[in-house]
Amino acid sequence: MARSRQARIGVDIGGTFTDLVLIEDGGRVLHGKVASTPRAPEEAVLEGISTLVEGAGLAVADIAEIVHGTTVGSNTLLQKVGAQTGLITTKGFRDVLEIGRLRTPHMFDLQWEKPVPLVRRRHRLEVSERIAADGSVLVPLDEEELVAAAQALLGEGIESLALCFINSYRNPVHEKRAETLLRERFPALGITTSVSVLPEAKEYERTSTTVVNAYVRPVLEAYLARLESGIASLGIDAPLLVGNSNGALASSDTARSKPVFFISSGRAAGAVGGSRLGTALDLDNLVIFDMGGTTASASLVRDGELSRVSEYEFRAGISTPSRFIKAGGYMMSVPTVDVAEVGSGAGSIAHLDSAGLVKVGPVSAGADPGPVCYGLGGTRPTVTDANLVLGYLPQALAGGSRTLSVEAAGKAIRDELGAPLGLDEVTAAFGVREVVNANMARAIRAVTVERGVDPRDFTLVAIGGSGPVHAAAIAELLSMKSLLIPASPGVFTAMGMLAGDVERYYIAPFAMLLEDVDTAALAEATARLREQARKTLSEEDIADDDMELVSEVDLRFRGQEMSLPVRFSEPFDMAKVRDDFLEQYRAIYNYSSSDSIEVVSVRMTGRGLRPGKLDFRKLQDAVADDVAPMSQRQVFFGRERGWLETPVYDRLRIPRVIEGPAILEGSDSTVVVPPGATATRDDFMNLHLKLA
Amino acid sequence: MSTAIDPITFAVLKSAVESIVDDMAYTVMRTARSPIVRDVLDYSTTMCDAEGRILAQAKTVALHLGAVPDAMEALLAHFGDNLAPGDVIIFNDPYDGGMHLPDIFMFKPIFQEERHIGFSVVICHHCDVGGRVPGSNASDSTEIFQEGLRIPPLKLYDRGVRNDTLLNIIAKNVRLPDLVIGDLEAQLATCALGERELLRVVEKYGRAQFETFLADFLDYGERLTRNEIRQWPDGRYEFVDYIDGDGFDESPIPIKVAITVAGDQLDVDFSGSSPQVKGAINSTLSFVKSATYLAVRCVLDSDVPNNSGVYRCIDISAPKGSFLNPEFPAPVAARALTGYRVADTVLGALSKIVPARVAAAGEGGNSVVCLGGYDKETREPFIMVDMINGALGARATKDGIDAITNPSQNMSNMPVEIMESTYPIRIEEYSLRPDSCGAGETRGGLGVIRQYRLLAHDAILQLRADRYDHKPYGLFGGGEAAPSRNLLSSGGSGFELLSSKVTRNVSRGDVIRHEQAGGGGYGDPLARAPEAVLEDVIDGKITAGFAREHFRVVVENGAIDEKATAKLRGETEEVLA
Repeated sequence: MARSRQARIGVDIGGTFTDLVLIEDGGRVLHGKVASTPRAPEEAVLEGISTLVEGAGLAVADIAEIVHGTTVGSNTLLQKVGAQTGLITTKGFRDVLEIGRLRTPHMFDLQWEKPVPLVRRRHRLEVSERIAADGSVLVPLDEEELVAAAQALLGEGIESLALCFINSYRNPVHEKRAETLLRERFPALGITTSVSVLPEAKEYERTSTTVVNAYVRPVLEAYLARLESGIASLGIDAPLLVGNSNGALASSDTARSKPVFFISSGRAAGAVGGSRLGTALDLDNLVIFDMGGTTASASLVRDGELSRVSEYEFRAGISTPSRFIKAGGYMMSVPTVDVAEVGSGAGSIAHLDSAGLVKVGPVSAGADPGPVCYGLGGTRPTVTDANLVLGYLPQALAGGSRTLSVEAAGKAIRDELGAPLGLDEVTAAFGVREVVNANMARAIRAVTVERGVDPRDFTLVAIGGSGPVHAAAIAELLSMKSLLIPASPGVFTAMGMLAGDVERYYIAPFAMLLEDVDTAALAEATARLREQARKTLSEEDIADDDMELVSEVDLRFRGQEMSLPVRFSEPFDMAKVRDDFLEQYRAIYNYSSSDSIEVVSVRMTGRGLRPGKLDFRKLQDAVADDVAPMSQRQVFFGRERGWLETPVYDRLRIPRVIEGPAILEGSDSTVVVPPGATATRDDFMNLHLKLA
Repeated sequence: MSTAIDPITFAVLKSAVESIVDDMAYTVMRTARSPIVRDVLDYSTTMCDAEGRILAQAKTVALHLGAVPDAMEALLAHFGDNLAPGDVIIFNDPYDGGMHLPDIFMFKPIFQEERHIGFSVVICHHCDVGGRVPGSNASDSTEIFQEGLRIPPLKLYDRGVRNDTLLNIIAKNVRLPDLVIGDLEAQLATCALGERELLRVVEKYGRAQFETFLADFLDYGERLTRNEIRQWPDGRYEFVDYIDGDGFDESPIPIKVAITVAGDQLDVDFSGSSPQVKGAINSTLSFVKSATYLAVRCVLDSDVPNNSGVYRCIDISAPKGSFLNPEFPAPVAARALTGYRVADTVLGALSKIVPARVAAAGEGGNSVVCLGGYDKETREPFIMVDMINGALGARATKDGIDAITNPSQNMSNMPVEIMESTYPIRIEEYSLRPDSCGAGETRGGLGVIRQYRLLAHDAILQLRADRYDHKPYGLFGGGEAAPSRNLLSSGGSGFELLSSKVTRNVSRGDVIRHEQAGGGGYGDPLARAPEAVLEDVIDGKITAGFAREHFRVVVENGAIDEKATAKLRGETEEVLA
């Protein structure tokens, strides 16, 4: 494709705002922000794009690519507005989806409600067929029964059909035959077979993943069709790429047929962006911390690799920081950026429990009524109120659009927390901040300590509007010494999307003891996966030279359930692979075993490196002069340090080095530099903080 | 709130110890070998202080929680003055701190600069500990010596040196030494992780501050609990529930409880419960306490921590020589069942105190299906231990839950495809059991059906179910749920009904089917909206016959027959008009 055009647009839809970033090859960066339009999210996207392109003084023909993170998938699940979905299973197993894995997220909770399955029992039908555990056919597929079942479901108004047969991961013949047959008979019916999304053992995980795909598919298909036709009607003739849950990109065609891989589109992009930024700055070990209004999340980059998981559960509310719990959500076994999330954010409400313990969240004041200091009707103190009372935040929002009331915030904190605890306003406000910081530190612990990773060896990257207000204090809690605050933390996710590569994943079962591995068979399986990966990447317009193919084997000690992926190159070096596995295992669990190691499967990640993607090294914003602070104000830095007279800078006009304490105010975020810390600005307007 | 530690540091430390036990739980899951541990999650992780008081327990098997204090007492009695860095202690003897033999307790004392500050505790249900029946779980043993290897409190590691004698004795006395030793290694890894993380916290906050926190944290648990109990009406509340029989004798085995609420203290007395029995459902008092704490904890509505402070508010007693406090050498392997029923009984009594917070009886505890034997060709042993869960009874304003772990566990199920690729067994059905719920204004949850076909030449089947004769109770007018059933089809013949507790031989091609009890109903079934009844009929969760008999709702061709329903419900023609 001719690359005369040079502008790329990244779009991230959030709950309140849709953020856009436009980047030109020359390095110019423009931000845009429009109110989200949840009922028809493409409207905000299209409005944002045309405003941004116009504001940049560009022609539509200058747009080379639009990269998009969408919440349509997650909202479809959250609000239960997916397609009328049917499920056909092996006889005896229609309830696998509803039975699930039986566990509950909390102990001792007799009032819990199990999530209603995405396919009701009346729409789950069974057919005669059976594959044995070794892949042999025990009972042939009863085709008449199958067609009758599909016919019955169509009669019930089913729009999308999921097919999942027991042991199909060992032999997909019945699922494939069923798909062919039903496509012939009912060409209009969307069909998702389980082997097309997850050819792996464990019937519940596979059924659930298949059902999520079938449930979301018509909605995402329609949305992307509307968006693409809208983009075309703006006169833009550029490919639309969509971010997947793993933080990579794929063509919108892929997103339409396998939406289950795109549920966390967007959320993962911030993490990937952080990781790219790290690479650009030669920082290999990062914790990426993203704090918004109601939640905060963390992800890990270790030795330059972003941490990922192979399954996650979507559920209303908040995922707990412990990944140990597996219960009560919509399970998807798909590669996903490992994001630990806690229900604490800038809008979280602080309160006391019945025994007088300070709690912050998970209830949030949100945008309505908002924090007390906004004066929009909020009466319960939030984290933002505490930050304002302590001097961390400016008393007027950017551009002076709103004045914040320190008095109202202080009164709410005194009344609700200070008086009952016998603490003064400032101590109580600081307490709110410390409690919320401790909560948020749990998200970081979940991706570090829980894996045996010492956070002290990592740089904390703070993104999201509120990330840089709390990052230094959280780093102190975890004894982390260095922080990185990107140039535009508030729109970083949209920017991160532009840093993504195209990725596709392939897996083949390969069960064998490591010591007995038949290298010829392994080479053959690997070659087959590699071929598939190449083929798909070239269909996504990736040139051969830009392809990166990573092969891995999933290994575990004999008898274990969970495996670790270990990279290998060819020819296969068994001893090296074993050593790598043992080393990884020891790093995580502090011990290792002398037991035999078994191979579970072979994996292939096909990555299409996009030549035009955002390069953080080229990024430059307005270059600052060496300047004096805009003003000074009193900021409370804890019981020992107390109130300190603190210089306040414009984020875009800062000297090369600032000694804390200091506050840096930008249009999208405020940065807190604590006493004893040194903030150094690099050539790309990123800030590097070293804590005392 | 005590003034010795500031509320903020308190909150931070609370969150720290709670995340350590979750880290530990995750480590067991990742490193264990046997499906009963790694898939079904029959284990628990706990952090204790140096005196053995529980600080936190992970979201694992709840019924282990209350047993830790008595286990700690046994451990300290043996080794209280003889603990050193690098020690690891294990035991399983029900008459010396344990619960039943398959549950091996492991403790690692944690030292900071020579000072003992706490214990990592990991309890795993091992897939076999020897004895006369594979899986070591039979209901029909008559003395503990038949149930497997008894391990008194012993050091598995002494100042970092492994006790190979002990390990060898264990390996020689269990049917699947690789899995048992592998799971013990997982326990070791987890204890070490707990130690590492606790030390990190103590080093950060200082020992003095940490020790102040410990005392405050236990007080906090106690205070929250007392705040709740104080609001309950004083009085004495009784309830009786039954276990069907002990596997030898079909006569019902009563559990009687009397709960006395006096101010902010509870007294729970099991006097009048059955004397100890011949079969293996006798339960140690520690386990009875566990089940009782659990039931009480289920009706506390605030976010009470899982720590020893809670137990200070609850006194529990059961007469010595009763089956809830048996004398040596009574068999105890199947005591889990008794724990479930104790919890059901206590919740029954609590329903008279806090009716809006309880649920009607659930399935009665998981049913255990154990198939073990040797592969005819390779002589490789196999032991499949499967636990079937479950149904929650109806709640005051919500239906029960179809297919759910018993609240006293937090167990999962073994994936069919994992089971089939691991054992010579095929699963022919895994489904919800229609009509198994108790009717009510809110209905109980449905139990499940699991049907196994044996593919090996032969095996010993050991099955433990209950709620055959004494069905899960309903509350406040709600109906009882359907009873459990064990069925066997042998040699291609039709299904025969087995008793609730079975140990017998089965052969290739035999089909074992368990139909589990559901949950009881809550409130008058006639108060349930006919539309809700109709939805269940359409979903095949209840049949039209059940709807008619129990709810007096007539469903024909997927719709309510309004007239017939009104007539059946005794409403008059005038009301209809």
